[in-house]
Amino acid sequence: MKKYIVYLVSLVLLASCVDTEERPNTPTGNFEALWQIIDEHYCFFDYKQKTYGLDWNAVYNKYKVRVSDRMTEDQLFEVLTDMLSELRDGHVNLSYSMDFGRYWAWQEDYPKNFSDSLERRYLGTDYKIAAGIYYRILDDNIGYIRYESFQMPIGEGNLDDVLSYLALCRGLIIDIRNNGGGNLANAEMLAGRFVHEKTLVGYMQHKTGTGHNDFSSLEARYMEPSSSIRWHKPVCVLTNRSVYSAANDFAVIMRALPRVTLIGDHTGGGSGLPMSNSLPNGWAVRYSACPMYDANKQHTEFGIAPDIAVGIGSSDNDEIIETARKYLVR
Amino acid sequence: MMKIKSLLLTLAVPYATLSAQPIITNSQHIGFGPTRVLDTYLSAEHFKGVGLTYLSHTERQRDSIRWSTILEHEANLSSVKDRVDKKQELEGAYNFYWGKLYSWQLLGNRLKLQAGGLVNASLGFIYNTSNGNNPAQARVSLNLMPTGVASYRFQLFNRTLLARYELSLPLAGIRFSPNYGQSYYEIFSRGNYDHNVVPTTFVSAPEWRQMLTLDIPLTTHPSTFNIRIGYLGNMQQAKVNGLRQHVYTHRFLIGFTKRFSIIHRAL
Repeated sequence: MKKYIVYLVSLVLLASCVDTEERPNTPTGNFEALWQIIDEHYCFFDYKQKTYGLDWNAVYNKYKVRVSDRMTEDQLFEVLTDMLSELRDGHVNLSYSMDFGRYWAWQEDYPKNFSDSLERRYLGTDYKIAAGIYYRILDDNIGYIRYESFQMPIGEGNLDDVLSYLALCRGLIIDIRNNGGGNLANAEMLAGRFVHEKTLVGYMQHKTGTGHNDFSSLEARYMEPSSSIRWHKPVCVLTNRSVYSAANDFAVIMRALPRVTLIGDHTGGGSGLPMSNSLPNGWAVRYSACPMYDANKQHTEFGIAPDIAVGIGSSDNDEIIETARKYLVR
Repeated sequence: MMKIKSLLLTLAVPYATLSAQPIITNSQHIGFGPTRVLDTYLSAEHFKGVGLTYLSHTERQRDSIRWSTILEHEANLSSVKDRVDKKQELEGAYNFYWGKLYSWQLLGNRLKLQAGGLVNASLGFIYNTSNGNNPAQARVSLNLMPTGVASYRFQLFNRTLLARYELSLPLAGIRFSPNYGQSYYEIFSRGNYDHNVVPTTFVSAPEWRQMLTLDIPLTTHPSTFNIRIGYLGNMQQAKVNGLRQHVYTHRFLIGFTKRFSIIHRAL
Protein backbone atom coordinates (compact mmCIF):
# COMPACT_ATOMS: atom_id res chain seq x y z
CA MET A 1 0.00 0.00 0.00
CA LYS A 2 2.80 2.40 0.98
CA LYS A 3 4.69 1.57 -2.18
CA TYR A 4 1.63 2.29 -4.22
CA ILE A 5 1.13 5.71 -2.61
CA VAL A 6 4.81 6.58 -3.15
CA TYR A 7 4.42 5.56 -6.78
CA LEU A 8 1.33 7.74 -7.22
CA VAL A 9 3.03 10.76 -5.64
CA SER A 10 6.10 10.23 -7.83
CA LEU A 11 3.93 10.23 -10.91
CA VAL A 12 2.24 13.47 -9.81
CA LEU A 13 5.62 15.13 -9.40
CA LEU A 14 6.88 13.84 -12.74
CA ALA A 15 3.73 14.76 -14.58
CA SER A 16 4.63 18.34 -15.38
CA CYS A 17 2.51 20.70 -17.45
CA VAL A 18 2.87 20.78 -21.23
CA ASP A 19 2.96 24.48 -22.01
CA THR A 20 4.69 27.17 -24.03
CA GLU A 21 5.91 30.64 -23.21
CA GLU A 22 3.46 33.33 -24.29
CA ARG A 23 4.91 36.46 -25.91
CA PRO A 24 3.52 39.73 -24.55
CA ASN A 25 0.90 41.47 -26.69
CA THR A 26 3.11 44.45 -27.49
CA PRO A 27 4.62 45.50 -30.83
CA THR A 28 7.90 43.93 -29.76
CA GLY A 29 6.15 40.78 -28.52
CA ASN A 30 4.22 40.42 -31.76
CA PHE A 31 7.37 40.98 -33.81
CA GLU A 32 9.20 38.29 -31.84
CA ALA A 33 6.24 35.89 -32.09
CA LEU A 34 5.95 36.34 -35.88
CA TRP A 35 9.67 35.95 -36.48
CA GLN A 36 9.73 32.76 -34.39
CA ILE A 37 6.64 31.22 -36.06
CA ILE A 38 8.25 31.69 -39.47
CA ASP A 39 11.66 30.59 -38.19
CA GLU A 40 10.27 27.30 -36.87
CA HIS A 41 7.69 26.48 -39.55
CA TYR A 42 8.63 28.03 -42.91
CA CYS A 43 9.83 25.43 -45.41
CA PHE A 44 11.90 27.26 -48.07
CA PHE A 45 14.77 28.81 -46.06
CA ASP A 46 17.47 26.59 -47.52
CA TYR A 47 16.18 26.83 -51.10
CA LYS A 48 15.82 30.62 -50.95
CA GLN A 49 19.17 31.07 -49.28
CA LYS A 50 20.70 29.35 -52.29
CA THR A 51 18.47 31.15 -54.80
CA TYR A 52 18.78 34.78 -53.65
CA GLY A 53 20.70 34.73 -50.36
CA LEU A 54 17.83 34.83 -47.87
CA ASP A 55 19.19 34.98 -44.29
CA TRP A 56 16.37 34.90 -41.73
CA ASN A 57 18.66 35.87 -38.85
CA ALA A 58 19.80 38.91 -40.80
CA VAL A 59 16.15 39.73 -41.47
CA TYR A 60 15.56 39.71 -37.70
CA ASN A 61 18.34 42.23 -37.11
CA LYS A 62 17.17 44.39 -40.01
CA TYR A 63 13.59 44.72 -38.77
CA LYS A 64 14.08 44.50 -35.01
CA VAL A 65 15.38 48.08 -34.97
CA ARG A 66 12.23 49.26 -36.77
CA VAL A 67 9.94 48.00 -33.98
CA SER A 68 9.20 49.93 -30.82
CA ASP A 69 6.47 49.56 -28.22
CA ARG A 70 5.30 53.11 -28.96
CA MET A 71 4.37 52.44 -32.59
CA THR A 72 0.76 52.33 -33.81
CA GLU A 73 -1.03 49.25 -35.09
CA ASP A 74 -0.74 50.46 -38.71
CA GLN A 75 2.99 51.09 -38.36
CA LEU A 76 3.54 47.65 -36.84
CA PHE A 77 1.55 46.01 -39.62
CA GLU A 78 3.67 47.75 -42.23
CA VAL A 79 6.95 46.69 -40.64
CA LEU A 80 5.84 43.07 -40.18
CA THR A 81 4.52 42.87 -43.75
CA ASP A 82 7.81 44.27 -45.03
CA MET A 83 9.67 41.64 -43.01
CA LEU A 84 7.55 38.83 -44.47
CA SER A 85 8.11 40.19 -47.98
CA GLU A 86 11.75 39.21 -47.60
CA LEU A 87 10.53 35.62 -48.11
CA ARG A 88 9.23 36.49 -51.61
CA ASP A 89 6.33 34.11 -51.14
CA GLY A 90 2.72 34.66 -52.16
CA HIS A 91 1.64 32.10 -49.59
CA VAL A 92 3.01 34.23 -46.75
CA ASN A 93 0.43 36.68 -45.51
CA LEU A 94 -0.34 38.72 -42.44
CA SER A 95 -3.94 39.77 -42.02
CA TYR A 96 -6.25 41.58 -39.67
CA SER A 97 -9.59 43.31 -39.96
CA MET A 98 -8.17 46.37 -41.73
CA ASP A 99 -5.65 44.94 -44.19
CA PHE A 100 -4.16 41.90 -45.86
CA GLY A 101 -0.35 41.96 -45.98
CA ARG A 102 1.03 40.23 -49.05
CA TYR A 103 3.92 39.82 -51.45
CA TRP A 104 2.54 39.71 -54.98
CA ALA A 105 5.57 40.79 -56.99
CA TRP A 106 5.58 37.38 -58.67
CA GLN A 107 2.54 38.56 -60.65
CA GLU A 108 2.51 42.35 -60.26
CA ASP A 109 5.96 42.84 -61.77
CA TYR A 110 5.02 41.10 -65.02
CA PRO A 111 2.56 41.56 -67.88
CA LYS A 112 -0.87 40.19 -67.07
CA ASN A 113 -1.21 38.30 -70.36
CA PHE A 114 -4.92 38.04 -69.80
CA SER A 115 -7.86 40.21 -70.83
CA ASP A 116 -11.42 39.98 -69.54
CA SER A 117 -12.70 41.59 -72.73
CA LEU A 118 -10.92 39.07 -74.94
CA GLU A 119 -12.07 36.21 -72.75
CA ARG A 120 -15.64 37.39 -73.34
CA ARG A 121 -15.04 37.35 -77.09
CA TYR A 122 -14.00 33.72 -77.03
CA LEU A 123 -16.57 32.49 -74.54
CA GLY A 124 -19.42 34.54 -75.98
CA THR A 125 -22.65 34.48 -74.03
CA ASP A 126 -23.92 31.00 -74.78
CA TYR A 127 -21.13 29.09 -73.05
CA LYS A 128 -21.99 26.33 -70.61
CA ILE A 129 -21.23 26.26 -66.89
CA ALA A 130 -20.53 23.04 -64.98
CA ALA A 131 -19.82 23.96 -61.35
CA GLY A 132 -16.51 25.88 -61.50
CA ILE A 133 -15.90 25.23 -65.19
CA TYR A 134 -17.01 27.48 -68.10
CA TYR A 135 -16.75 25.71 -71.46
CA ARG A 136 -17.72 25.78 -75.11
CA ILE A 137 -16.68 24.54 -78.57
CA LEU A 138 -14.77 27.14 -80.56
CA ASP A 139 -15.39 27.64 -84.30
CA ASP A 140 -12.51 25.40 -85.39
CA ASN A 141 -13.90 22.51 -83.33
CA ILE A 142 -11.49 23.03 -80.45
CA GLY A 143 -12.90 22.51 -76.98
CA TYR A 144 -12.28 25.42 -74.61
CA ILE A 145 -12.41 25.05 -70.82
CA ARG A 146 -11.99 28.04 -68.55
CA TYR A 147 -11.27 27.18 -64.91
CA GLU A 148 -10.77 30.46 -63.10
CA SER A 149 -10.24 29.23 -59.55
CA PHE A 150 -9.68 25.86 -57.94
CA GLN A 151 -11.60 27.24 -54.97
CA MET A 152 -14.72 26.66 -57.07
CA PRO A 153 -15.66 23.00 -56.67
CA ILE A 154 -16.23 20.44 -59.39
CA GLY A 155 -17.45 16.88 -59.23
CA GLU A 156 -16.74 13.75 -61.24
CA GLY A 157 -20.24 14.07 -62.74
CA ASN A 158 -19.44 17.61 -63.95
CA LEU A 159 -16.26 16.40 -65.63
CA ASP A 160 -18.09 13.45 -67.25
CA ASP A 161 -20.63 15.85 -68.74
CA VAL A 162 -18.03 18.40 -69.89
CA LEU A 163 -15.78 15.82 -71.55
CA SER A 164 -18.76 14.04 -73.16
CA TYR A 165 -19.94 17.35 -74.62
CA LEU A 166 -16.46 18.10 -75.99
CA ALA A 167 -15.75 14.49 -77.07
CA LEU A 168 -15.88 15.18 -80.82
CA CYS A 169 -13.48 18.14 -80.64
CA ARG A 170 -10.05 17.72 -82.25
CA GLY A 171 -8.22 19.11 -79.23
CA LEU A 172 -8.79 20.78 -75.92
CA ILE A 173 -7.66 24.07 -74.39
CA ILE A 174 -7.68 24.36 -70.60
CA ASP A 175 -7.30 28.01 -69.70
CA ILE A 176 -6.15 28.41 -66.09
CA ARG A 177 -4.72 31.91 -66.45
CA ASN A 178 -5.39 34.03 -63.34
CA ASN A 179 -6.23 30.86 -61.39
CA GLY A 180 -4.65 31.68 -58.03
CA GLY A 181 -5.21 28.19 -56.63
CA GLY A 182 -7.66 26.74 -54.14
CA ASN A 183 -8.40 23.14 -53.36
CA LEU A 184 -5.69 20.71 -54.47
CA ALA A 185 -8.33 17.98 -54.77
CA ASN A 186 -10.08 19.91 -57.57
CA ALA A 187 -6.81 20.28 -59.46
CA GLU A 188 -6.00 16.59 -59.05
CA MET A 189 -9.52 15.51 -60.04
CA LEU A 190 -9.30 17.47 -63.30
CA ALA A 191 -5.75 16.29 -64.03
CA GLY A 192 -6.83 12.68 -63.46
CA ARG A 193 -8.91 12.85 -66.66
CA PHE A 194 -5.70 13.15 -68.71
CA VAL A 195 -3.73 10.38 -66.99
CA HIS A 196 -3.78 6.99 -68.73
CA GLU A 197 -1.35 5.06 -66.57
CA LYS A 198 0.06 5.51 -63.10
CA THR A 199 2.42 8.46 -63.51
CA LEU A 200 5.00 10.04 -61.26
CA VAL A 201 4.14 13.74 -61.15
CA GLY A 202 6.18 15.03 -58.23
CA TYR A 203 7.31 14.70 -54.65
CA MET A 204 6.25 16.13 -51.32
CA GLN A 205 7.74 16.40 -47.84
CA HIS A 206 7.08 18.16 -44.55
CA LYS A 207 8.98 19.58 -41.63
CA THR A 208 9.77 17.24 -38.76
CA GLY A 209 11.16 19.83 -36.35
CA THR A 210 11.96 23.48 -35.78
CA GLY A 211 15.32 23.45 -37.62
CA HIS A 212 15.48 24.99 -41.09
CA ASN A 213 16.57 21.65 -42.54
CA ASP A 214 14.41 19.30 -40.47
CA PHE A 215 12.46 17.54 -43.21
CA SER A 216 10.94 14.14 -43.81
CA SER A 217 12.10 12.07 -46.75
CA LEU A 218 10.62 12.90 -50.16
CA GLU A 219 7.38 11.04 -50.79
CA ALA A 220 6.56 10.38 -54.43
CA ARG A 221 3.27 11.71 -55.80
CA TYR A 222 1.68 9.45 -58.34
CA MET A 223 -1.42 10.21 -60.37
CA GLU A 224 -3.75 7.32 -61.08
CA PRO A 225 -5.96 7.29 -64.19
CA SER A 226 -9.51 8.36 -63.52
CA SER A 227 -11.99 5.49 -63.67
CA SER A 228 -14.46 7.77 -65.47
CA ILE A 229 -14.28 9.40 -68.92
CA ARG A 230 -10.70 10.28 -69.89
CA TRP A 231 -9.38 12.61 -72.61
CA HIS A 232 -6.98 11.00 -75.13
CA LYS A 233 -6.49 13.84 -77.66
CA PRO A 234 -3.97 16.70 -77.47
CA VAL A 235 -4.39 19.27 -74.71
CA CYS A 236 -3.01 22.77 -74.32
CA VAL A 237 -2.90 24.35 -70.86
CA LEU A 238 -2.77 28.15 -70.92
CA THR A 239 -0.76 29.83 -68.17
CA ASN A 240 0.31 33.25 -67.00
CA ARG A 241 2.14 34.73 -64.01
CA SER A 242 -1.04 34.64 -61.92
CA VAL A 243 -1.21 30.84 -62.04
CA TYR A 244 -0.36 30.12 -58.43
CA SER A 245 -0.51 27.49 -55.71
CA ALA A 246 -2.92 24.64 -56.62
CA ALA A 247 -3.09 26.00 -60.19
CA ASN A 248 0.71 25.94 -60.39
CA ASP A 249 0.53 22.37 -59.11
CA PHE A 250 -1.99 21.52 -61.84
CA ALA A 251 0.42 22.92 -64.45
CA VAL A 252 3.27 20.88 -62.92
CA ILE A 253 1.19 17.69 -63.03
CA MET A 254 -0.04 18.30 -66.59
CA ARG A 255 3.51 19.00 -67.78
CA ALA A 256 4.48 15.48 -66.71
CA LEU A 257 1.78 13.95 -68.95
CA PRO A 258 2.10 13.02 -72.63
CA ARG A 259 0.10 14.98 -75.24
CA VAL A 260 -0.07 18.01 -72.95
CA THR A 261 1.53 21.33 -73.93
CA LEU A 262 1.83 24.40 -71.72
CA ILE A 263 1.37 27.64 -73.63
CA GLY A 264 1.58 31.25 -72.45
CA ASP A 265 3.72 32.83 -69.75
CA HIS A 266 5.76 31.44 -66.87
CA THR A 267 3.55 30.39 -63.94
CA GLY A 268 3.65 32.30 -60.65
CA GLY A 269 4.66 29.35 -58.46
CA GLY A 270 3.70 28.85 -54.84
CA SER A 271 4.65 25.23 -54.27
CA GLY A 272 4.47 25.22 -50.48
CA LEU A 273 1.27 23.93 -48.93
CA PRO A 274 0.31 26.82 -46.64
CA MET A 275 -0.63 26.57 -42.98
CA SER A 276 -1.85 29.19 -40.53
CA ASN A 277 -1.01 30.51 -37.10
CA SER A 278 -1.80 33.61 -35.06
CA LEU A 279 -0.03 36.34 -33.11
CA PRO A 280 -0.63 37.62 -29.56
CA ASN A 281 -2.65 40.54 -31.00
CA GLY A 282 -4.91 38.16 -32.94
CA TRP A 283 -3.47 38.85 -36.39
CA ALA A 284 -3.46 35.80 -38.63
CA VAL A 285 -0.28 34.65 -40.29
CA ARG A 286 -0.03 32.19 -43.17
CA TYR A 287 3.16 30.55 -44.38
CA SER A 288 4.41 27.80 -46.69
CA ALA A 289 4.75 24.65 -44.61
CA CYS A 290 5.13 21.60 -46.88
CA PRO A 291 7.27 21.87 -50.02
CA MET A 292 6.11 20.17 -53.21
CA TYR A 293 8.46 19.29 -56.05
CA ASP A 294 8.08 18.31 -59.68
CA ALA A 295 8.83 14.85 -61.07
CA ASN A 296 12.55 15.73 -61.30
CA LYS A 297 12.67 16.71 -57.60
CA GLN A 298 13.01 20.37 -58.53
CA HIS A 299 11.34 23.17 -56.61
CA THR A 300 8.51 24.95 -58.42
CA GLU A 301 8.13 27.67 -55.77
CA PHE A 302 9.00 30.33 -58.35
CA GLY A 303 6.87 28.76 -61.08
CA ILE A 304 7.60 26.79 -64.23
CA ALA A 305 8.24 27.88 -67.80
CA PRO A 306 5.71 27.00 -70.52
CA ASP A 307 6.58 24.71 -73.43
CA ILE A 308 5.64 27.52 -75.82
CA ALA A 309 6.22 31.02 -74.45
CA VAL A 310 3.89 33.59 -75.94
CA GLY A 311 2.24 36.80 -74.73
CA ILE A 312 -1.32 37.93 -75.22
CA GLY A 313 -0.23 40.41 -77.92
CA SER A 314 -1.79 43.74 -78.79
CA SER A 315 -4.21 42.71 -81.52
CA ASP A 316 -7.92 42.08 -81.14
CA ASN A 317 -7.16 38.41 -80.59
CA ASP A 318 -5.81 36.63 -77.56
CA GLU A 319 -2.53 35.41 -79.03
CA ILE A 320 -2.14 32.78 -76.33
CA ILE A 321 -5.47 31.17 -77.24
CA GLU A 322 -4.71 31.59 -80.96
CA THR A 323 -1.33 29.90 -80.55
CA ALA A 324 -3.00 26.98 -78.78
CA ARG A 325 -5.65 26.69 -81.54
CA LYS A 326 -2.99 26.63 -84.25
CA TYR A 327 -0.99 24.08 -82.28
CA LEU A 328 -3.99 21.79 -81.89
CA VAL A 329 -5.13 21.94 -85.55
CA ARG A 330 -1.67 21.62 -87.08
CA MET B 1 -47.51 2.75 -13.42
CA MET B 2 -47.60 -0.26 -11.10
CA LYS B 3 -45.01 -2.00 -13.24
CA ILE B 4 -42.67 0.97 -13.04
CA LYS B 5 -43.16 1.21 -9.28
CA SER B 6 -42.48 -2.49 -8.94
CA LEU B 7 -39.32 -2.19 -11.02
CA LEU B 8 -38.08 0.77 -8.97
CA LEU B 9 -38.68 -1.13 -5.74
CA THR B 10 -36.77 -4.06 -7.15
CA LEU B 11 -33.86 -1.86 -8.14
CA ALA B 12 -33.82 -0.03 -4.83
CA VAL B 13 -33.64 -3.05 -2.54
CA PRO B 14 -31.02 -2.21 0.11
CA TYR B 15 -27.76 -3.78 -0.91
CA ALA B 16 -27.19 -5.34 2.51
CA THR B 17 -29.83 -7.93 1.72
CA LEU B 18 -28.30 -8.80 -1.62
CA SER B 19 -24.75 -9.69 -0.81
CA ALA B 20 -24.57 -12.24 -3.59
CA GLN B 21 -25.49 -9.71 -6.24
CA PRO B 22 -23.13 -6.99 -7.45
CA ILE B 23 -23.99 -3.61 -6.03
CA ILE B 24 -24.11 -1.00 -8.76
CA THR B 25 -23.50 2.64 -7.93
CA ASN B 26 -24.36 4.82 -10.88
CA SER B 27 -23.92 8.58 -10.97
CA GLN B 28 -25.06 10.97 -13.67
CA HIS B 29 -23.53 14.45 -13.80
CA ILE B 30 -23.64 17.63 -15.79
CA GLY B 31 -20.64 19.90 -15.44
CA PHE B 32 -19.92 23.50 -16.38
CA GLY B 33 -16.68 25.40 -16.07
CA PRO B 34 -13.55 26.84 -17.65
CA THR B 35 -11.48 25.23 -20.41
CA ARG B 36 -7.94 26.05 -21.49
CA VAL B 37 -6.59 24.87 -24.82
CA LEU B 38 -3.14 24.93 -26.39
CA ASP B 39 -2.30 23.18 -29.63
CA THR B 40 0.83 24.39 -31.37
CA TYR B 41 -0.19 22.60 -34.58
CA LEU B 42 -3.03 25.12 -34.86
CA SER B 43 -1.71 28.21 -33.10
CA ALA B 44 1.09 29.36 -30.82
CA GLU B 45 -1.54 31.16 -28.74
CA HIS B 46 -3.31 29.92 -25.62
CA PHE B 47 -7.10 29.80 -25.73
CA LYS B 48 -9.51 30.15 -22.81
CA GLY B 49 -13.24 29.71 -22.54
CA VAL B 50 -15.99 27.65 -21.01
CA GLY B 51 -17.48 24.27 -21.67
CA LEU B 52 -20.04 21.67 -20.74
CA THR B 53 -19.40 18.10 -19.66
CA TYR B 54 -21.63 15.08 -19.27
CA LEU B 55 -20.26 12.35 -17.03
CA SER B 56 -21.70 8.94 -16.29
CA HIS B 57 -19.84 7.05 -13.57
CA THR B 58 -20.65 3.45 -12.68
CA GLU B 59 -19.03 1.19 -10.10
CA ARG B 60 -19.93 -2.48 -9.63
CA GLN B 61 -18.80 -4.40 -6.56
CA ARG B 62 -19.94 -7.50 -4.70
CA ASP B 63 -19.93 -7.31 -0.93
CA SER B 64 -17.75 -10.33 -0.51
CA ILE B 65 -15.17 -9.35 -3.14
CA ARG B 66 -12.64 -6.55 -2.78
CA TRP B 67 -12.31 -5.89 -6.51
CA SER B 68 -14.73 -3.50 -8.16
CA THR B 69 -15.22 -2.48 -11.78
CA ILE B 70 -15.35 1.17 -12.86
CA LEU B 71 -17.03 2.32 -16.06
CA GLU B 72 -17.16 5.99 -17.08
CA HIS B 73 -18.40 7.93 -20.08
CA GLU B 74 -17.27 11.53 -20.24
CA ALA B 75 -18.22 13.88 -23.10
CA ASN B 76 -17.33 17.54 -23.22
CA LEU B 77 -17.66 20.47 -25.60
CA SER B 78 -15.95 23.84 -25.18
CA SER B 79 -15.70 27.15 -26.99
CA VAL B 80 -12.47 29.04 -26.34
CA LYS B 81 -10.94 32.29 -27.56
CA ASP B 82 -7.46 33.79 -27.67
CA ARG B 83 -6.39 36.51 -25.24
CA VAL B 84 -7.67 39.35 -27.46
CA ASP B 85 -10.98 37.66 -28.28
CA LYS B 86 -10.29 37.55 -32.02
CA LYS B 87 -9.61 33.88 -32.76
CA GLN B 88 -11.84 31.03 -31.74
CA GLU B 89 -11.37 27.31 -31.26
CA LEU B 90 -13.97 24.65 -30.56
CA GLU B 91 -12.92 21.62 -28.56
CA GLY B 92 -14.84 18.41 -28.09
CA ALA B 93 -13.99 14.98 -26.75
CA TYR B 94 -15.47 11.69 -25.67
CA ASN B 95 -13.53 9.75 -23.05
CA PHE B 96 -14.32 6.19 -22.06
CA TYR B 97 -12.79 4.77 -18.89
CA TRP B 98 -12.84 1.15 -17.78
CA GLY B 99 -10.85 -0.36 -14.97
CA LYS B 100 -10.53 -2.46 -11.82
CA LEU B 101 -9.96 -1.22 -8.28
CA TYR B 102 -8.98 -3.14 -5.13
CA SER B 103 -10.48 -1.83 -1.90
CA TRP B 104 -9.59 -1.57 1.78
CA GLN B 105 -12.11 -0.65 4.52
CA LEU B 106 -10.65 1.44 7.35
CA LEU B 107 -11.85 3.38 10.40
CA GLY B 108 -14.75 1.06 11.08
CA ASN B 109 -15.87 1.08 7.44
CA ARG B 110 -16.14 4.87 7.39
CA LEU B 111 -13.11 5.20 5.10
CA LYS B 112 -12.69 3.13 1.95
CA LEU B 113 -9.48 3.26 -0.03
CA GLN B 114 -9.24 1.81 -3.52
CA ALA B 115 -6.33 1.40 -5.88
CA GLY B 116 -6.05 -0.02 -9.37
CA GLY B 117 -5.96 1.13 -12.94
CA LEU B 118 -8.16 2.51 -15.69
CA VAL B 119 -7.92 2.21 -19.43
CA ASN B 120 -8.86 5.50 -21.11
CA ALA B 121 -9.94 5.57 -24.75
CA SER B 122 -10.25 9.14 -25.99
CA LEU B 123 -11.65 10.54 -29.23
CA GLY B 124 -11.86 14.27 -29.84
CA PHE B 125 -11.02 17.31 -31.89
CA ILE B 126 -9.85 20.90 -31.68
CA TYR B 127 -11.21 23.10 -34.49
CA ASN B 128 -9.68 26.50 -35.22
CA THR B 129 -12.30 28.58 -37.01
CA SER B 130 -9.71 30.80 -38.76
CA ASN B 131 -7.09 28.44 -40.16
CA GLY B 132 -6.90 27.28 -43.78
CA ASN B 133 -5.04 24.04 -44.46
CA ASN B 134 -4.60 23.19 -40.77
CA PRO B 135 -8.09 23.96 -39.45
CA ALA B 136 -8.40 21.10 -37.01
CA GLN B 137 -6.51 18.62 -34.92
CA ALA B 138 -7.82 15.11 -34.34
CA ARG B 139 -7.32 13.72 -30.85
CA VAL B 140 -7.25 9.94 -30.56
CA SER B 141 -5.47 8.16 -27.74
CA LEU B 142 -5.45 5.08 -25.55
CA ASN B 143 -3.96 5.41 -22.06
CA LEU B 144 -3.32 3.23 -19.06
CA MET B 145 -3.92 5.26 -15.89
CA PRO B 146 -3.08 4.10 -12.34
CA THR B 147 -5.99 5.20 -10.17
CA GLY B 148 -6.65 5.73 -6.50
CA VAL B 149 -9.95 6.46 -4.76
CA ALA B 150 -10.72 7.55 -1.19
CA SER B 151 -14.33 7.56 0.06
CA TYR B 152 -15.24 8.85 3.51
CA ARG B 153 -18.68 8.49 5.08
CA PHE B 154 -19.59 10.97 7.81
CA GLN B 155 -22.53 12.49 9.66
CA LEU B 156 -23.61 16.10 9.24
CA PHE B 157 -26.98 17.65 10.15
CA ASN B 158 -28.34 14.17 10.96
CA ARG B 159 -27.53 12.93 7.49
CA THR B 160 -24.97 10.47 6.25
CA LEU B 161 -22.84 12.14 3.62
CA LEU B 162 -20.22 10.55 1.40
CA ALA B 163 -17.15 12.43 0.24
CA ARG B 164 -15.24 10.75 -2.58
CA TYR B 165 -11.96 11.65 -4.29
CA GLU B 166 -10.70 9.86 -7.41
CA LEU B 167 -7.27 10.50 -8.92
CA SER B 168 -6.00 8.96 -12.17
CA LEU B 169 -2.42 9.45 -13.26
CA PRO B 170 -0.60 8.74 -16.51
CA LEU B 171 1.51 5.67 -17.11
CA ALA B 172 1.71 4.78 -20.80
CA GLY B 173 -0.36 4.76 -23.94
CA ILE B 174 -0.48 5.45 -27.65
CA ARG B 175 -1.90 8.41 -29.52
CA PHE B 176 -2.41 9.77 -33.01
CA SER B 177 -0.55 12.89 -34.03
CA PRO B 178 0.51 14.47 -37.31
CA ASN B 179 4.24 15.05 -37.52
CA TYR B 180 5.54 18.53 -36.69
CA GLY B 181 4.71 20.26 -39.99
CA GLN B 182 2.77 17.47 -41.66
CA SER B 183 -0.54 18.34 -43.29
CA TYR B 184 -3.68 16.23 -43.02
CA TYR B 185 -3.70 16.31 -46.84
CA GLU B 186 -0.52 14.22 -46.80
CA ILE B 187 -1.90 11.77 -44.25
CA PHE B 188 -5.41 11.20 -45.52
CA SER B 189 -5.29 12.16 -49.23
CA ARG B 190 -1.84 10.85 -50.09
CA GLY B 191 -1.38 8.19 -47.41
CA ASN B 192 2.05 9.52 -46.42
CA TYR B 193 2.36 8.35 -42.81
CA ASP B 194 5.20 9.58 -40.63
CA HIS B 195 5.21 8.65 -36.93
CA ASN B 196 1.48 9.27 -36.76
CA VAL B 197 0.83 6.61 -34.11
CA VAL B 198 3.10 7.50 -31.20
CA PRO B 199 3.76 5.51 -28.01
CA THR B 200 3.50 7.79 -24.98
CA THR B 201 4.57 7.69 -21.33
CA PHE B 202 3.85 9.81 -18.28
CA VAL B 203 6.71 12.04 -19.47
CA SER B 204 5.49 12.71 -23.03
CA ALA B 205 1.77 12.61 -22.18
CA PRO B 206 1.44 13.64 -18.52
CA GLU B 207 -2.34 13.43 -18.42
CA TRP B 208 -4.14 13.31 -15.12
CA ARG B 209 -7.67 13.55 -13.90
CA GLN B 210 -9.25 14.12 -10.52
CA MET B 211 -12.80 14.17 -9.26
CA LEU B 212 -14.02 15.27 -5.84
CA THR B 213 -17.69 14.68 -5.05
CA LEU B 214 -20.06 14.90 -2.14
CA ASP B 215 -23.18 12.72 -2.01
CA ILE B 216 -26.02 14.31 -0.04
CA PRO B 217 -29.15 12.31 0.85
CA LEU B 218 -32.45 14.08 0.48
CA THR B 219 -33.74 12.70 3.78
CA THR B 220 -32.28 11.92 7.16
CA HIS B 221 -32.84 8.19 6.54
CA PRO B 222 -30.24 6.11 4.70
CA SER B 223 -31.09 6.31 1.03
CA THR B 224 -30.07 4.64 -2.20
CA PHE B 225 -30.66 7.89 -4.08
CA ASN B 226 -28.49 10.94 -3.35
CA ILE B 227 -27.84 14.34 -4.81
CA ARG B 228 -24.25 14.76 -5.86
CA ILE B 229 -22.15 17.90 -6.24
CA GLY B 230 -18.50 17.99 -7.07
CA TYR B 231 -15.53 19.03 -9.15
CA LEU B 232 -13.97 17.29 -12.14
CA GLY B 233 -10.57 18.33 -13.42
CA ASN B 234 -9.24 16.65 -16.54
CA MET B 235 -5.73 17.64 -17.61
CA GLN B 236 -5.09 16.08 -21.00
CA GLN B 237 -1.74 17.00 -22.48
CA ALA B 238 1.00 15.68 -24.72
CA LYS B 239 4.24 16.68 -26.36
CA VAL B 240 4.88 14.39 -29.32
CA ASN B 241 6.42 14.93 -32.75
CA GLY B 242 7.61 18.37 -31.62
CA LEU B 243 4.01 19.50 -31.08
CA ARG B 244 2.58 20.59 -27.74
CA GLN B 245 -1.04 20.19 -26.82
CA HIS B 246 -3.05 20.61 -23.67
CA VAL B 247 -6.76 20.66 -22.95
CA TYR B 248 -7.50 21.51 -19.32
CA THR B 249 -11.14 21.25 -18.29
CA HIS B 250 -12.38 22.25 -14.84
CA ARG B 251 -16.02 21.49 -14.18
CA PHE B 252 -18.41 22.14 -11.33
CA LEU B 253 -20.54 19.00 -11.28
CA ILE B 254 -24.11 18.52 -10.24
CA GLY B 255 -26.09 15.33 -10.55
CA PHE B 256 -27.41 12.37 -8.68
CA THR B 257 -26.19 8.98 -7.63
CA LYS B 258 -28.20 5.84 -7.05
CA ARG B 259 -27.25 2.46 -5.65
CA PHE B 260 -29.03 -0.68 -6.76
CA SER B 261 -28.71 -4.33 -7.60
CA ILE B 262 -30.16 -6.27 -10.49
CA ILE B 263 -31.94 -9.47 -9.47
CA HIS B 264 -32.25 -12.25 -12.01
CA ARG B 265 -35.46 -14.16 -11.26
CA ALA B 266 -36.61 -17.35 -12.92
CA LEU B 267 -39.98 -16.98 -14.63
